[in-house]
Amino acid sequence: MKMRLTQYLQNLKAHLVMDPASEKDVIHELETHVEDSCLELQNAGLSEDEALDKCLTRLGSAKVLARQIYEANNQGTWRQALLAALPHLIFAIIFALKWWIDINILPIMFIVILGIAIYGWYHGKPYWLFPWLGYSLFPIVAAGVSLLYLPNAWAWITLGLYIPLVLLLLSFITIKFLKRDWSYSLLMLLPAAAFIGWLLAAGQKPGFPGLKINFMYGFAPWTSLTFLILATSVALFIRLRQRWLRITTLAISGVIISIVTILASNQLGPVSFIGLVLLILSFLIVPSFVERKVRKGQAAVIQTPLP
Amino acid sequence: MRQQNELVKGSIDSLLLCLIGQQPMYGYQIIKELEDKSQGYFKYKEGTLYPALHRLEKAGLLVGKWEPTAGGRQRRYYHITAKGNKIFAEKKVQWLDFLAAMNLIISPIGA
Repeated sequence: MKMRLTQYLQNLKAHLVMDPASEKDVIHELETHVEDSCLELQNAGLSEDEALDKCLTRLGSAKVLARQIYEANNQGTWRQALLAALPHLIFAIIFALKWWIDINILPIMFIVILGIAIYGWYHGKPYWLFPWLGYSLFPIVAAGVSLLYLPNAWAWITLGLYIPLVLLLLSFITIKFLKRDWSYSLLMLLPAAAFIGWLLAAGQKPGFPGLKINFMYGFAPWTSLTFLILATSVALFIRLRQRWLRITTLAISGVIISIVTILASNQLGPVSFIGLVLLILSFLIVPSFVERKVRKGQAAVIQTPLP
Repeated sequence: MRQQNELVKGSIDSLLLCLIGQQPMYGYQIIKELEDKSQGYFKYKEGTLYPALHRLEKAGLLVGKWEPTAGGRQRRYYHITAKGNKIFAEKKVQWLDFLAAMNLIISPIGA
């Protein structure tokens, strides 16, 4: 009997997609429920197996129950949606009003964003934190990319040291959130797709970085539009209940951003478009794959019998 | 039958707030209480109850706490919050108005 209940709860756990503490609470709560229900049925004359059969039938499919509990727990409020969209909106305004030209604005903004990200990290890592976290890592990635333009020897040192370190940091943060729900790590990674799109577009123009200011100036309204698309998709993500709808929304917004970048650059062709779309797809597939591995590892630990 | 199910599902928030407002309860106890008090009319499945409890908790209308039962077992008791009480008071007025209006149509006085 215990084995069948454990299997049911493990199946439920595999589909729950919540932070470990809440997951433990839900599993324990349902376990106690089954215990109470089975005890009463046994008192009414049913055998242990019959009682469990009846209980599990009443509970229904573990997958459906897990999905319903996920939807009840994960829909954010409008306030959370606004907070999550806020960094994108701030950058949309900065680019729309061309404030980015002021050399002080961007560093100040990144310091503010980093401060808010640190605050969120130490206050329960709420859902709205992820986009802020993505932006707070932005200067690190941008610095690494700009190092690539150094003379040959330095570029190799950059490739050998800086990029693996940055990737390690990104992986550490992403895996940290995978334990909760990999789809949230997309909120953090998605702006990177837009950033790479601009880099590709700017890469077509000669000279770095000074001569590209003119290009960036002309590109600013499109950059602003990109941030608005990100803000809208993130707000929708927070408000939607169904997980598949959330992921689809982000995937669609990624494709729209790619189209905007290609059209606005006027130079990039279908190959760049396909490259950008593939990059976005990799953002969707890789965290999902790693999450499966992480969860498989956790399930193996649970299945290991206690000494 | 399907319409009856929809009606029962639509009323779950009010029923839970009402019941938990009377005394803190845990999931299994809630299902039994609802069934007993309604003389078998409200038979909620766990798949309906727990998502609803979690939704109300997330909205700040209920709060769940692990507490020991009289038998010493740990159960997750749901308590109503001040916000939950306020929302329930509003829902109660809506329900009573709805029922009065329905009665006026279905069973008119003097009909």
